[in-house]
Amino acid sequence: MFLKKLLSHGQKEQKVVDGIEQHIRLLARACELFKGALETGDRKLVEEIVHLERQGDAARRDIIGTIYEGAFLPYLRPNLCKFVENVDHVFDLLQETALYFREVALPENIQDVCVQVAAINREMCDMLLITFQAMLRGEDLREKSLAVRIYEKKVDDIKFDLMADVRRLPVRDFWEGKSVADFLTGITSISDFIEDATDSLQVIHLSMR
Amino acid sequence: MWKIASGVFLGWSLGANDSANIFGTGVATGAVRYTTAIVLTSIFVLFGALVEGPKCMETVGELSLLSPVDAFCCTLAGGLTMTALTLAALPASSSHAVVGAVIGVGMLSGSADFSRLYRIVVCWVFTPVCALALAYVLFRVLGYLINRTIPSLTSRNTLYRAGILLAGCYGAYTLGANNVANVTGVYVGAALLSAEVASLVGGLSIAAGVLTYSRNVMVTVGKGIAPLGPFSAFVVVLTAAATLHLFTQVGVPVSSSQAVVGAVVGVGMVGDVRTVSQRMLGKIVLGWLLTPVAGGLLAYALLRVFFS
Repeated sequence: MFLKKLLSHGQKEQKVVDGIEQHIRLLARACELFKGALETGDRKLVEEIVHLERQGDAARRDIIGTIYEGAFLPYLRPNLCKFVENVDHVFDLLQETALYFREVALPENIQDVCVQVAAINREMCDMLLITFQAMLRGEDLREKSLAVRIYEKKVDDIKFDLMADVRRLPVRDFWEGKSVADFLTGITSISDFIEDATDSLQVIHLSMR
Repeated sequence: MWKIASGVFLGWSLGANDSANIFGTGVATGAVRYTTAIVLTSIFVLFGALVEGPKCMETVGELSLLSPVDAFCCTLAGGLTMTALTLAALPASSSHAVVGAVIGVGMLSGSADFSRLYRIVVCWVFTPVCALALAYVLFRVLGYLINRTIPSLTSRNTLYRAGILLAGCYGAYTLGANNVANVTGVYVGAALLSAEVASLVGGLSIAAGVLTYSRNVMVTVGKGIAPLGPFSAFVVVLTAAATLHLFTQVGVPVSSSQAVVGAVVGVGMVGDVRTVSQRMLGKIVLGWLLTPVAGGLLAYALLRVFFS
């Protein structure tokens, strides 16, 4: 059994790596669609995001299944699974936010800020993929982590201004207000979870040194 | 032949206790499965005992003039001491237990050779010190080389898996080569067995202990002392094996437990000395100090009570 694992020359590990890359690419594609939906106001794109989220769930199940079939040292497995769960968490939040978007009508100035945040989220996904690939090659992740933190800081700064503007927004009833608040909380929290995923990559990187 | 039964019992205890020193860290980090670990350990222990086992046989046998009954009492006392420590899940030293017992019996007959004991005690003291220093250096040097040459996560994963396996096999080999003298060395001194037969009997009894009763101590050694990653586990096992091999060439059976704990402390010191559990280390040191005294007193008592 042990020799079989050694002689398989990391096939399961490669399957996990490919799966994770695919998972992050799906997330990046979903972020791109969400940005497009915000820019154009095309609410049909939300259906595609939901579809991508289902594909992401399937990818996550495959990755975790392969890990527990014996890919990577058991010492690494919890951290890898945590990373995959973090990415999935971003996906869930993105889908939830996209679903709120269908229900809210935002004034143009706030919608523009939301497009700006969605664009940053999209760039953070690219950076997450770059960081993951750099970790696989054993490169130093400090600069990549720093870039992610800078993006996150940008979103945080935007969030405070956005919340100040939103307080002046007239709402018809409680549920409309709640939908707007949940939508804005969602779109500005995605970067937090991408930052968490990047941090877990740093943990994996350090644990193998 | 009944007189070698206690030696077989001691070998069984040694196998149950000391196999943890070989693959304990590997099993605890999940790099090697318990079943794989005990099968490989038993095969390589026997191989080491047959190839290099006779090198340390004389050292134990010459500590005192032993009759076959004395030899029986020595190994029985050693085996009982080891079993008690194994039940307490403490990594005990068979070298300490047997040498303590041989000296205890020698004191009764007035034949104990303390000049030879001096050489053994010096080696005992140097075992953990040597392991600590070697682990520290290996961790730094190998760490630097691996970081420079094998940066890829998947390649490194394969390297650690293979490294822990190979180092474990080497460790098992050196355990058999060095520690078989503790099990049956006294029978060579008492002219009951030839060195080759003693190596075979000792090797088989150690392998039996590994296969049947080694899980508890394996978990204690692997998880209780310091939190180890796969690279640290690899360095610990490699260091312990190299230390045992070194003292096998000197011809002195030493404690594999001392070697592995020294190595674990050495690796722990590279990161932060606070990662080493002081309480666990204290328990282990207490076990080492009590082992020769308990072995000596027990052998003395057995001989007085049953064979006076």
